[in-house]
This record gives sequence, structure tokens and C-alpha cells, in this order.
Amino acid sequence: MSTWQRVVFRNFDLFLSGLWVTAQICVIAFAVAIVLGMAACLVKLYVRPLRFAANLYIQFCRNTPIYVQLLWVNYVWPDVIGWPTSFFAAGWMALGLQSSGYLAETFRAGIEGVPRGHVEAARSLGMSRFQNFRRIVLPQALLVMASSIMNQFLVLAKSSTLVSVIAVPDLMYQALRLASKWFEPIEPLSFVAFVYIVVIFVLSHAMKRYADRLQSRYG
Amino acid sequence: MSERGDLRIVKFDNLVAIFNASLLWEYRSLLLRGLAYNFYVFAVAGALAISLGLSIAVLRLQPGWIARSIGSVYVEVFRNVPEYVLLIWVHFVLPLLITALLRSQVNFSPFVSAVLALGLAYGGYFTEAFRGGIQAVPRPHVEAARAIGMSGAMTLRRIILPQAIRHMLPEGMNLLVSLFKATTLVSLIEVPDLLYQVTIVVQQEMRPLPLYSGAAFIYFLLIFFISAAVDRLTQRWRVAWR
Repeated sequence: MSTWQRVVFRNFDLFLSGLWVTAQICVIAFAVAIVLGMAACLVKLYVRPLRFAANLYIQFCRNTPIYVQLLWVNYVWPDVIGWPTSFFAAGWMALGLQSSGYLAETFRAGIEGVPRGHVEAARSLGMSRFQNFRRIVLPQALLVMASSIMNQFLVLAKSSTLVSVIAVPDLMYQALRLASKWFEPIEPLSFVAFVYIVVIFVLSHAMKRYADRLQSRYG
Repeated sequence: MSERGDLRIVKFDNLVAIFNASLLWEYRSLLLRGLAYNFYVFAVAGALAISLGLSIAVLRLQPGWIARSIGSVYVEVFRNVPEYVLLIWVHFVLPLLITALLRSQVNFSPFVSAVLALGLAYGGYFTEAFRGGIQAVPRPHVEAARAIGMSGAMTLRRIILPQAIRHMLPEGMNLLVSLFKATTLVSLIEVPDLLYQVTIVVQQEMRPLPLYSGAAFIYFLLIFFISAAVDRLTQRWRVAWR
């Protein structure tokens, strides 16, 4: 009990700050992933000449392990394009890159799943391509994609533990630091594993319920 | 001249350095040995994950609530824990707990921890895949098998599994591909896989650009072709069995 007291509960503020960093990095990375993924998907679907490039990008993001991407973005990018200048930025960029590939394929499946007739009907009513996309395609596609988008967020949250390797002070980093500082691995590492399991469990069930509600209301 | 050079966003010398494969070629035997470790971890962890997944899935479909809840707890724990956290926990905490329990010194070699952690994590995913596959088998098939006198194990082997595996094939193959991607994590507990060797060479040569880019490129090509081949095969098997 005393070790728990000394290593875990007395350092609760550290764990909290780590959790805050984890939350920030997940949200930023996911926003980046949505933007990049949507861009890649739209290019792949609607811009013929760039289709090959978009495909290459998507396949690269999907088929490279996240840890390799993390090291690549962190150690190679700064010397080539002068960015990212902080570990934090490298963390969210790598996470965003990985997820954007998966999201692009999800978006594509969702958009292609919208019945052709709906699109044609909207066109014949005189809607512009943009209007058509925003009012007809996107709402229907989003409904279908909701659960896999949410699932991708959970995958990203789980991968986010790896940013501790490049010294981003996230939840896992704090636990590892406490473990090596006190030379007591059992308590902080078990505690942090427990926190991750509970948080991700709760998130996944909340998201699943939300997706089901959406489905039953609009589906 | 130099001022203008500094203002450029892309540093061309470094951009060229990315595509320099001479270092990779110089260390090829080391890197290939590392890659063999990736496959080694993948094979053992995959076998563990598939057997765990099948056992727990069968456990989860039992009528008794104790077996069912053991299965559910296993799935919820190992599907929701990040793989890196599990890896570190299995490597640094589990041996201490076992030592305290057995009162004799236990240590895991990095390879054992890696296989155990990845096997346990993917066992959770495989459980759900198997469960989905088994539940997709029409109930009357099972009843008919029981009615002609097949035992439970025989029904599972002859009636349920062949149909269930066909149903879960795409998901199972995806899981195996992600498992292969996850084997790069084992370099973090010093299993000498490809990425581990690359980091060692980076420390010796102080040239991260070509090495990390090369590693990314090798993994990309490898996983891209593996998953393309897997997709192909899955489709062919599904058609052939229909």
C-alpha cells in the first residue's frame, strides 16, 4: 500500500497532466487525420490525374507501422522540410498521418455507397457539384461511416501511447518516468494500464451507443 | 547566396540523402537478420493469438455464466489496452508479480515478453472474429450434427469451424497484417528486429535520414505486398469454397 501511496497517489497531478497531453494529442491528430484523409479521398475520387499520387499516399500511410512513421516524422522531416520543430508536433503529425490513410478508405467506401440515383437526381434538380456533395452525399455517407470513424479514433488513442518514446510527456511517459525514478515498475505501470483500459472501454461503449442511436434515428 | 539558400523550405541535400540506399546495403545482413526476427515474432505471436482466440470464443459461447464472463473480461481487457502499454507491462511487471507469487526469481527474455504481449492482445481481437464466425453458422447445422450423434468437439471441428473460418477470413487476415505491423513495437523492449537494428546503426553512423527512411520504405513495400497478396488469396478462397 505504501508504494501505491508514494509512487502513484502522491503523483496524481503528474498522471493528470499526462492524461491531458494524451487527450490534446489525440484530438489534434484526429482532426489532422480527418482533413488529410478527406483530401486524399476526394482527390482519389474526383481528380483523375492525381489519382495515382493519392493512392500512393493512402497506401503508404496504411501500410507503414505507426512506430516507424513516428521515428520517420520525428527524425527525418525536420532535416528535410524544417518541421516539426517539437516532439509534440511530430507526435500528432505521425498519428494523424497513419489514421488519415485508414480514414480516406473509410470515406471512399461511404461516398461510393451512396446510391447513384440520389446523386443523379440532385444533379438534375440543378444542384452544383459542391451542393450535391454537401447536401446529398455527405449526410448519407457520414451515417454509414460513423462507427468506423469512431473506431479509428480508438485505434489512434491506443497508438498515441507510442509518443512517449519520443519524449512527449503523455500519460505513458509519466508512468515510465515514475517507474524508473522510484525503481518501482509494478504500481505505476499497472495503474496506467488500468487507466487506459477503463478510458478506452468507456469511450468505445459510449461511441457504439451513439452510433446505434444515429443509425436508429436517421438510418 | 547562402542567405537565400537558408530561406528555402526544402533542404535539397537532405532530400537527396533520404534516397541514399548505400548504408542499407552496407548493413544488409544485419538488417535481414532483424527482419527475420519480425517474422519469427509474428509467427509465434500469431499462433498464440489464434489459439487463444478460438479457445476464448468457445468459452464465450458456453451456456454457463462463469465461463462467459471470463471470456468477456479477457476480451474487454485485451482489446482495450494499448499494445505498447501491454508490452511494457508484460516485460517489466509480470515477471515481478510471478516472482512474488512463486517466491523464486523469474525473468522473461525480450522475445518471450514480445510474443506473450502481442499474442494476448491479438487473442482478444481474434476472439471477436471467431465469435462472429461461429455465430454466423446456421443453428440447424449444429443441431443436425448433434442429432446424428457427433460429439461437441467433432461438431466444432467438422461443422462449425470450416464455415466459421470462411466467414471470418477477411477480418482474420486483416488482423494478421496488423499483427505484423505491431511486431515493430518489440524493438522497444530490445528484441533485435529490423527497426531495432536500424536504431543501432543510426546511433553508430549518425545518419538518421537514409536509415529511417529506408526502414519506412522497406516496411511499406513488405506490408503493402503482403496485404495485397492476402486480399487476393482471401477472395480466391471465398469463391472456391462457395
